[in-house]
Amino acid sequence: MSKNPYQPVNGKITEIIDESPTVKSFVVVPEKKIKFETGQFVELTLPGEGEAPFTPSSSPSDSEKMEISIMKAGRMTGLLHQCKKGQKVGIRGPFGKGYPVNDFVGREVYIVGGGVGLAPIRSLFLTLVGRIKDFKSVVCRFGAKTPEDFIYKNALFGPWQKITGVNMKLTVDKANGQWKDNVGVVTTILSPQDVNIGNSAAVVCGPPIMMKFATLKLLEFGFKPVNIYLSMEKNMSCGIGKCGHCMIGKYYVCKDGPVFTYEQIKDYPDIWA
Amino acid sequence: MEPVYISNLKPFLDAVAERMSLYVPKKTGQHYTYSKYDPDSKSPAELNNIRTCTTVKEFLFPVCELAAIFPEPAEPEEIKPFAVFGLKECDLRSIEILDKVFTEEEFEDPLYIKRRENMFIIASDCFEPGESCFCNFFNGKAFAQNGFDINVSKIRDGFIIEAGSEKGEDFIEKHSRLFNKVPDRLLGERDKNRDKTQKQLEENNAKYKLDVPIKELTESGWESDVFDVEAKNCVECQACTRICPTCHCFYLYDTKQKDYFAKMKMWDGCLRQAYAAVAGGANPRKILGDRIKHRLMHKLVYFVDRYGLDMCVGCGRCIDTCAGEIDMRSILKKLNEELKDKNRPKAKVIK
Repeated sequence: MSKNPYQPVNGKITEIIDESPTVKSFVVVPEKKIKFETGQFVELTLPGEGEAPFTPSSSPSDSEKMEISIMKAGRMTGLLHQCKKGQKVGIRGPFGKGYPVNDFVGREVYIVGGGVGLAPIRSLFLTLVGRIKDFKSVVCRFGAKTPEDFIYKNALFGPWQKITGVNMKLTVDKANGQWKDNVGVVTTILSPQDVNIGNSAAVVCGPPIMMKFATLKLLEFGFKPVNIYLSMEKNMSCGIGKCGHCMIGKYYVCKDGPVFTYEQIKDYPDIWA
Repeated sequence: MEPVYISNLKPFLDAVAERMSLYVPKKTGQHYTYSKYDPDSKSPAELNNIRTCTTVKEFLFPVCELAAIFPEPAEPEEIKPFAVFGLKECDLRSIEILDKVFTEEEFEDPLYIKRRENMFIIASDCFEPGESCFCNFFNGKAFAQNGFDINVSKIRDGFIIEAGSEKGEDFIEKHSRLFNKVPDRLLGERDKNRDKTQKQLEENNAKYKLDVPIKELTESGWESDVFDVEAKNCVECQACTRICPTCHCFYLYDTKQKDYFAKMKMWDGCLRQAYAAVAGGANPRKILGDRIKHRLMHKLVYFVDRYGLDMCVGCGRCIDTCAGEIDMRSILKKLNEELKDKNRPKAKVIK
């Protein structure tokens, strides 16, 4: 008999990091190693309360622990935000298909991210940076509502920008006194000169509205739908393509995604909702 | 193995019930539902003329079941062999569909599989198709074609019993004293009955005859307002998804018990408004018409793309149960007419 896919691996929250007014990162140590690929997701169970899908924000190279950044948005995430260090949790997964990093080799990787969408992107970014010579360049265009809303500030505002091979620009919708950088939604810092479009893979992750307009912008620049990778946020539950909650057209986001090319899903009208 | 004959069902059912739990159809009002066979009951089981009201999926995928216990995983619940009597061809096709989903390689659902492996399927011929039956839309037949352990066909003076699997053959061999050779004239009678039922099924559905294959027809409905029009009659009770033998959406939820936590697996339905909503509030199918459309697209287009067969068996239970009198056949017929209109050559304008 195959193993029970509904049985979580027990784990513990060992550290909680306040990232922004609405986002906290949780370091979770599972009792059994969980090997995942960047962009795959797990179901995090709060015993007795429920579970919700999250893409780890840490590098897959660390299978001892994973970091999960969570925005307070609903019942489960609200409860998770109340958790203290030492809280017991359950983890199921990993599920689905992540970013096809090997397909990016020799190309420029153009990453457009917004808000808590930087969580999966952080995992991808760390993976790319770990073998940066394999890629022509990693070009990042990240946005947040305000400077405070950026997550991973310590890395983002300093060390990440200095990595050779990385080109990074940040923007905020609304600045405060200290902010000297760009102001405007993320699409305002995208330019067709950012990358050589013919030899690039674009990755978009963020709130639905941002993903929609960023994708349209990339298409306008001449990106082929097959070269735009989207990390879709749907109501994934079982993780094994059965319960139906996460369906986009014929696709189960949990099994066929969560990373899709725009080519795969572009004909379904409900992808941005 | 040649079919065998028995004049009375009771000894046969008693023999099954001696070996395992047996569930049989029982008339409840106008419909049949399943209950456990009681050999001592004054009114032993009767053979249902038509599919039961409740579906076979309840035996394989219960309304609510325990999916996991933690922190300490528990031994899975033991499932003993059980038999279900009176399943019709549409029920067998629905099992085939659920098998595709729950036994898919790399994505097996062990909860389903352990029940499936222990189920002994006793099918039977249909001889009174209902007004709502439309299995012929999906090449369904009035009798079981495959996927059964034993099939029972009622004839004038008794029953023809036929094995459809090794398990079935084994059962008949072990109980050979119960059965006789089928008199020649009776096999012919079985075929005649089957033809008659099939003909009636086709007559019942003649007015819904479609000109285009169902998948193509459904796909043509992307832009149609048929689903929004149907939505006006839908009261969102979700009876259709519950009574459907192939609908298999479910919902995982966690509960606190005295000394453990449990993850439960419970039926859900894609017509429910918050079904696909995420925590941020986004919901890809806020509008009821879109949910009705998604359900039909899943059944008649997406499932076909993925698994190579329709996710509808034409049992018509959804039609019987719908408080708003929504009828899948009429939806398809409307799409059929819309498509015909679209494809009709436009009259030439003479200048």
